[in-house]
Amino acid sequence: MLKTKLLLTTIFMGSTVFAQGPAPEAPPAPGGQGTSAVDLSVKQKPTLTPADMINQSKEYFTGMGAVVKRIQTLQDQAKREKDIIRLNCVTDKLVQARVNVNIAEQSMATMQESVARNNEGEQTHEFTRLTIVNQKVTVLGAEAENCIGEDLSFVGATRIEVEVDPNIPQYDPTQPGSPFIDITRPPSASPID
Amino acid sequence: MNRRLALSIALGALLAGRVASAQEVTIGYQGLPYKSTGESNAGIQVSDSVLLHAGIGVEAGYDTNVFYAPSKEIGSSIFRFMPYAELTNATRTGPSSNILVFDARAGLQYRHYGNSEVASRYADAWNPNAGLSLSLGGAQFGFGVADVFARVEDPPYANPGNIDPITGIPTGVPPIQRTNNQASIEGRWAPGGGRLTTVLRFTNMVNIYDNNGTGNYSFANAMTNTLMLDVAWKWLPKTAIFFNVQQSIVSYLNQSRANNANLSDSYPLYVTAGLRGLLTEKTSAVLTLGYVNGFYSNGATTSGFLGSTYLDLAFTARLTQLSRAVVGFRHDFVNAVISNFAYQETAYASYIQQIAGRLALDVSGRYQYISYQGDTSDPTQVTADGGNRVDNFFQLGASLDYFLRNWAYIGVGYALLDNRSNIPLDDYLKQQVFARLGVTY
Repeated sequence: MLKTKLLLTTIFMGSTVFAQGPAPEAPPAPGGQGTSAVDLSVKQKPTLTPADMINQSKEYFTGMGAVVKRIQTLQDQAKREKDIIRLNCVTDKLVQARVNVNIAEQSMATMQESVARNNEGEQTHEFTRLTIVNQKVTVLGAEAENCIGEDLSFVGATRIEVEVDPNIPQYDPTQPGSPFIDITRPPSASPID
Repeated sequence: MNRRLALSIALGALLAGRVASAQEVTIGYQGLPYKSTGESNAGIQVSDSVLLHAGIGVEAGYDTNVFYAPSKEIGSSIFRFMPYAELTNATRTGPSSNILVFDARAGLQYRHYGNSEVASRYADAWNPNAGLSLSLGGAQFGFGVADVFARVEDPPYANPGNIDPITGIPTGVPPIQRTNNQASIEGRWAPGGGRLTTVLRFTNMVNIYDNNGTGNYSFANAMTNTLMLDVAWKWLPKTAIFFNVQQSIVSYLNQSRANNANLSDSYPLYVTAGLRGLLTEKTSAVLTLGYVNGFYSNGATTSGFLGSTYLDLAFTARLTQLSRAVVGFRHDFVNAVISNFAYQETAYASYIQQIAGRLALDVSGRYQYISYQGDTSDPTQVTADGGNRVDNFFQLGASLDYFLRNWAYIGVGYALLDNRSNIPLDDYLKQQVFARLGVTY
């Protein structure tokens, strides 16, 4: 919870900084003669305008859509390669990305309503949510790219080796024996015919 | 791939045309390889989807008892040589198609006994072998055809009735020549997710003792047709509970001679269930239990609780990626030559170890208790009190190979065959040692 608050604060501040507009004009220097000098002052706006928020949000949606599409491509690739391990990893990222995109769509709708009602607080809140969700989807896309497949953990196809005891005869001992011809010497008999 | 495991693929494992063959276990010294080891980056790419494997192996050693004699054994140096070629649709780095798999191979073994006392008719033998398999199918439906052929010639038994009393070498009797061809066709169905799999397979086997003269076994020439239905539910990807039914028809090709030898046709039926596949990633098992009946048309047939039971237990452990151990037991019956059939109890174990990527060690052993059942027309095959013959058969095999490259090897091998019978004339102890080298590309 603390981490989330810190993250939100950082992002809020960061987005506020990045969303800064040009710095307000500096007061003219004394004794100025009204000459045509370049305006070097930095104008700052404390928040984005509602229009800026909406435009930024649309850019977020474009980016998130590209990430989801990329993850789908990775999923199809894993299916073709029949890499189960990588497929499970990528599918997990894709599911999370789609859930975040759904959240972003809800936030977008709410933010547009708040703009119509001129509710600055809610606008900012929903814009912040969109920003966070965009970051999450970006991270999920990076994680999907780094999913490890079977090529790194694959140790080879399953192979079955049958080891037959060499003492076991190769012939079939269950077959009936072959008849032997009888050429044994007959017993002695009388020489008298 | 484990080189020694691949090098020990059994002769009949080609039938499936798929990699299921690796679960078969070979016991005893297997000799030279007759097909590719399945090593990657081996073979000549004939076209985009056809790979040619070729190989050749030689081994030389000593045989302590050429004629399986109970006494006065005749030993001899022995030399064996076998080239082979194999075509398969694959690339050098693996199969080119999971829908169509084919494999065609042929090999020819030459065996020579160097002892001059061994008559020339026994000294040299040419033993061809060939195989063809085609498997077609996708996840739900599959189809396969296969054929395996082999011919083996071995010196005869030294019996009192056929040996020279001075040298102990058989005279006047032909070598034992056995030709076997087995063809099969199967359909596979695995609806839905493949949890439930069904295999329907028809197998035709022709077994011929194709020598003539006194002492030949041609009276036992037979054809066997078998229809098998196997339904398995994979409650785990590589473990299944299964139900299996097999019905066979065994018919002797020379009925009159077979009848004179007290051999009769039979219709063996097997109805079994169990589990097969992985228990853990390092262990697997085959557990089979069920009903069996020989249904011999004449004379003795399987009977009683044990006589009607089939049991097959095998446990495999891959101790490390470079070693494998297998232990197993089987209770079954088999057609016999001297009588209708024999009950057979078999216990076996195998261990394979690859060392430093270059050495491969294979050690295996088997014990069989064989009890012959039924009348025999051979008076030398009954005990003094008229009882049936019972054999206790031991077999050991070992090999140690050093792989100069993944397609070239050099090594040594050892084989032991020992039979102890309640008929002393059937006892024998035979040992063989070999040094060998070869290329399987």
